[in-house]
Amino acid sequence: MTSGIVFDIKEFAVHDGPGLRTTVFMKGCPLVCSWCHNPESQWGQPQLMRTANGTRLAGSLYTAEQLAARLNQQAALLKANEGGITFSGGEPLMQAGFVAEVISLLEDMHIVLDTSGFGRERDFRLLLGCTDLVYYDLKLIDPEAHVRYVGQDNRWILRNLQIMSEAGVPFVIRVPLVPGVTDSDENLAAIAERVAGLPGLQRVDLLPYNKAAGAKYEAAGMEFKPDYDENRPLNLNTGVFERAGINVRIA
Amino acid sequence: MNERLERYKQGLRSGLHKSLRQAGRIDTLAGDELQAECEQQNLGWMQRSARLTRRQCEAERVVIGPDERIVFTRTLIDVPPIYSKAEWEKVTGQRTLHELGPISNICADWGMALAQGLNGRRQTALAARQRFKDDPSALEFLDCAIETMDAVQGLANRYAEAARQMGRNEIAEILEQVPANRPRSFHEALQSLRLLQAAVWLSGHYHVGLGRFDQYMWEYLREDLESGRLDVAGAEELLAEFFISLNKDSDLYPGVQQGDNGQTITLGGVRRDGSSAVNELTRMALRVSCDLEMIDPKINLRISPDTDVELLCLATELTRKGLGFPQYSNDEVVIPALVAHGYALEDACDYVVAACWEFIIPGQGMDVVNIGAVSLPAAVDRAIRAGLLAGDDFEGILARLRADIGEQVQQVAGRYENLLLPPAPYYSVLMDNCLENGRDLSLGNKYNNFGIHGAGSANAADALAAVRKFIFQEHSLQPSELLSALDADFVGYEDLRLKLFDDGPKVGNNDDGVDTLLVGLFEAFADACENYGCTSRGGILRPGTGSAMYYIWLAQGHAGMHEPVVGATAEGRRQGQPLGANLAPTQGVRINGPFSTLQSFAKIDYRRVCNGGPITLELSDTVFRNPEATRQVALLVRAFAQLGCQQFQLNALSLETLLDARAHPDLHKNLIVRVWGWSGYFCELGAEYQDQIIARHMFNLE
Repeated sequence: MTSGIVFDIKEFAVHDGPGLRTTVFMKGCPLVCSWCHNPESQWGQPQLMRTANGTRLAGSLYTAEQLAARLNQQAALLKANEGGITFSGGEPLMQAGFVAEVISLLEDMHIVLDTSGFGRERDFRLLLGCTDLVYYDLKLIDPEAHVRYVGQDNRWILRNLQIMSEAGVPFVIRVPLVPGVTDSDENLAAIAERVAGLPGLQRVDLLPYNKAAGAKYEAAGMEFKPDYDENRPLNLNTGVFERAGINVRIA
Repeated sequence: MNERLERYKQGLRSGLHKSLRQAGRIDTLAGDELQAECEQQNLGWMQRSARLTRRQCEAERVVIGPDERIVFTRTLIDVPPIYSKAEWEKVTGQRTLHELGPISNICADWGMALAQGLNGRRQTALAARQRFKDDPSALEFLDCAIETMDAVQGLANRYAEAARQMGRNEIAEILEQVPANRPRSFHEALQSLRLLQAAVWLSGHYHVGLGRFDQYMWEYLREDLESGRLDVAGAEELLAEFFISLNKDSDLYPGVQQGDNGQTITLGGVRRDGSSAVNELTRMALRVSCDLEMIDPKINLRISPDTDVELLCLATELTRKGLGFPQYSNDEVVIPALVAHGYALEDACDYVVAACWEFIIPGQGMDVVNIGAVSLPAAVDRAIRAGLLAGDDFEGILARLRADIGEQVQQVAGRYENLLLPPAPYYSVLMDNCLENGRDLSLGNKYNNFGIHGAGSANAADALAAVRKFIFQEHSLQPSELLSALDADFVGYEDLRLKLFDDGPKVGNNDDGVDTLLVGLFEAFADACENYGCTSRGGILRPGTGSAMYYIWLAQGHAGMHEPVVGATAEGRRQGQPLGANLAPTQGVRINGPFSTLQSFAKIDYRRVCNGGPITLELSDTVFRNPEATRQVALLVRAFAQLGCQQFQLNALSLETLLDARAHPDLHKNLIVRVWGWSGYFCELGAEYQDQIIARHMFNLE
């Protein structure tokens, strides 16, 4: 029986997959994106959030049984309404064994994996094997830019992209549009080129920058240091995807 | 919406038509002129009521706007008294009046009234006159009813004549047909309804519901569509104009806040025989309402777990626009609840929603659906205090709680035992059975029940759960400490307050422990209503799950209110903090989410509570950022019905917008929000209500 640390369980998540859905946010992430709007998701351990409304603990330990039991309370409701469970975070691949065990204990339900793709191949294949749909982040194709803004190389991410396509699991590419960082024509074109024609691609979602990104940093005891101009207008270049024959939308 | 309607709507919102109102009552009824005339002629109450309708209709000045195809603009600012103050005291004596006095918050049988027309109703009255020729009070009533019909017809005639003179022949032809006769078209039906309903307001009644609009108007629309007289666009244009017209005079209508006028339409649901009643007009009404974005009419949609998701998606478009409606009622739960409370199945299938959420039967319901409230938090608070002081165990506290609820029900209902309803000869024309039986509506109709709100249920359950957990189970809290903390309004006991508030079990988390206490509260309430038995009107008490304005009043007091005010409470709530509105978790507590909230409230046995009262959920408007989300919200509504809940009020609010509207009201003149049971313009609400909406529980999905 494995255990895992979860920092949020959000009922009625509308941007994380179809139907009535609950999203489980895993704590811990190998990336350090400058625009991260869930700073408490980065560190894998429970931590105190100190706000004007008091102090609370972000992050709870669950055994696989406990988490599955909690989610199964609503299984009938979600299944009856075109929905299911999404595993997000943080990065679910960091707790792949736990997530896989939870899924194995869930009543048969639609599963979405919301992931950066940054993880070991075997962890990724493990979760692909029990996922119905993947929401896969692609941020920056240029490796140097990726290291600079996200804190890690993107080789694993691009490799896992191939693996996912070959495995036949349907996926949606999610591109966070960060002004002046990810929304350049070059980067968007590079993403389009990378994914065009891949079997399993459902569509590309462009996610406009969340200007409230910095809201939780102070409470988490962290400093929000965006190395880009938050107020710069976004380049909502859907054309580069449309021209490549890719179904694209601004989420 | 075309240009003509856009002009009409903008003109309305900017208040141009108000300049047409009769300031200072020139040529009309001065403040005491009517009552002086009544006194001089020695008129009885029934006759005065009819005289009021007559004089109001006569005094109304004809107004036909250049853009109008459906006419009537109210020019009389208010309704003059029919008795002097002294006479009124004598006439009403020690009797209880309900709110402002006149019959309100019911629904006429509009379908019948339209189909028969005033001529048909007059025939009915004359026939009844024959049958009751030896019954003086029946004769008096019938003559008064006829007087009111003549008055409304007179008003229609003057409008028709003026239209002729102005060369507005389409309008003239219509008014020469209706409201005297059965409408020959959808257009005539709308015109007839407009005039007939406006006359009810003129007569001093309020919260005048419009009932199952898509049902009784459908035959006229269908004939027009089938014959080709109208196409869908033409029908929508007329419907839009009719809807706009309901917003014209509403600033004159009585209500707790601007917008609280009860002009409700109840769409969808099932027919009297149980088959689906959804038709093209159901969808058209939703589309037009969505397009217009005005606060009237208030849309209620009757659904079931089988309701087509596409219809729910269309309804969700209204929610997305922040209109504060539709409010949803689940037929599968409401109809059995009404039947369990003595309503005939056929009548129950025909239920409509009154001004806020209460269920009422059109044409036959003379229920008074809001005679007061039981404060569940006060009952719990008193039971806890007395019980802890006496050294009771938890069961002992529950026993005291049940007794307190019983006592509160006795008091609320007792105050209404000598209810006096003023005669309503005109409203009687529009209801079933009155003319036919020679009996005014004020003497009752087929259903004469009383509705009582059950307010603050989540707070009450949370308080009980906290006491059970910390005092009786964990023994981590001494009774004396809790009592001192409550007396001190938690001043000096902040740690304890946070423990109660953050660590106590909460309704809204699908936690069986505390949810069972919630269920028990409504069981006790229903038991008390049942034990009360028959009222002096020959009706029963209907417990409900709504709170109306009591969610503030029971916490802060209210002039003239008899219900008990409660101070700091054991769920960690400070004195003066509002309670949850209707069915909603305690304000400010951490809740798992909408699914858990629905699951918690689904546990209530709704067959025992039939007065209504919605689960109220606020969603951040960011939910609606993509079209997939509209379907997801629609599925949430379906889930509400699948789970067996009774009523649902879903609002989309932007905190940012509200704060900005608070700071810059002139930039948000048209911002519509929902407060307990109705929608209003945010910037027209009192400050305390604005604060409430801002503070209200929101599922922020960012």
